[in-house]
Amino acid sequence: MDVLDEKDVVALCGQVGAVLLENGAETSRVENTVEYIGRAVNLPIVCHATMTAVFVNSEKSATTRIFKVRVGDFNLQKVDRINTLSREFSQQKLTFKELKEAVTEVEYDTSDFNLFEKCLGAGLVSVAPMLLFKATWFDLFLSFFVGILGYLVARVVGQHSKIPYIAVAMGGLSISILAHVLLDIGIASSANNIIISALMPLVPGVPMTNSLREIIEKNTISGLVRATDAIMAGISIGSGVVIGQILIKVVLGG
Amino acid sequence: MQILLGFVFGFLSSVGFGIVTNNPRRTLMPAGWIGAIAWVIYIVAGWYDHGVIMPNLLSAIVIGLLGNLAAILVRAPVNIFYVPCLVSLVPGAIIYDSMKNFTLGYDNLAAHGLIKALTVGLSLAIGFIIAEAISNKIYPPLKKYLEQKNR
Repeated sequence: MDVLDEKDVVALCGQVGAVLLENGAETSRVENTVEYIGRAVNLPIVCHATMTAVFVNSEKSATTRIFKVRVGDFNLQKVDRINTLSREFSQQKLTFKELKEAVTEVEYDTSDFNLFEKCLGAGLVSVAPMLLFKATWFDLFLSFFVGILGYLVARVVGQHSKIPYIAVAMGGLSISILAHVLLDIGIASSANNIIISALMPLVPGVPMTNSLREIIEKNTISGLVRATDAIMAGISIGSGVVIGQILIKVVLGG
Repeated sequence: MQILLGFVFGFLSSVGFGIVTNNPRRTLMPAGWIGAIAWVIYIVAGWYDHGVIMPNLLSAIVIGLLGNLAAILVRAPVNIFYVPCLVSLVPGAIIYDSMKNFTLGYDNLAAHGLIKALTVGLSLAIGFIIAEAISNKIYPPLKKYLEQKNR
């Protein structure tokens, strides 16, 4: 294998770590993958990842890079592709240069399901199995569409505003308003069931569980960051819904 | 009837969340099956135990075991299977409910909901740890066998 510049390796490792972390991989997986790549080029690398930054240090000399990370939504496709790339690299199917190009390509890749499929997915999640025998079938049918709307609102607001948590709050607000309107004009039978069901794509349940998994694996810092994030998202959704309720009360006088 | 419907909607829910989180297409179907099976386990466990801990723990163990198996068969990180399968079990609605009570000023209800959410989350997390401990012992021979077969 050709001689590699240490700085290049460290920079690439940091990039890999940052992409993985941003798109929803656990910290232990990030650290393992980065150190795995280091081992594949015979450069011992120490990586420490928290939810806010990735530190990559080469053991041979004092080359250290810090990568700031802003954890966003899940995009598991990127996690999977990086994982495949690192496996191929360690089996020497890829050269270092090819790996570097591929990682950069993955980082800026926006390949995704199209909007229709996304909406369909969000709608399917919005029919919560938890409520199958508690809510009426028609309410669940309605929550399919209410959930799609909430997801779309959250998505559009998220694209236009950099303020954290505003997207999910607006999603909660629109779901709440729509559910109460449906109740008031007599179509739906329970606003609360529709709201809970339609909120399923937005609520931070999976981050909450992941955070507890991290805490159990002794990645306490990342776990706490994720837990705080989940609770903040919960608070903003809750406030969104409550504001929606109040608005409807004021407007319709119900 | 309950089991059949639970299976269908557990499947749809997992596939749907898989699409929302942009799972690779080849992992959608396995994730859906695992989510459906886990939801059936949840329902059945709920018949015998009315608490929140046992049903969640058992379904998490099932997700963990099957997820690790699928990760080997489809060759993907195991987290890709955990995330969509979890969506129907996860305490998202409880967190939302508790935070809504918090916003409305019902502190007692909020604290109760938050503790319940933590309990559900912890039982899921512990279920995963148990499943991972088991699958780390069981699956390596299978992995080796598959690698030899592919060669």
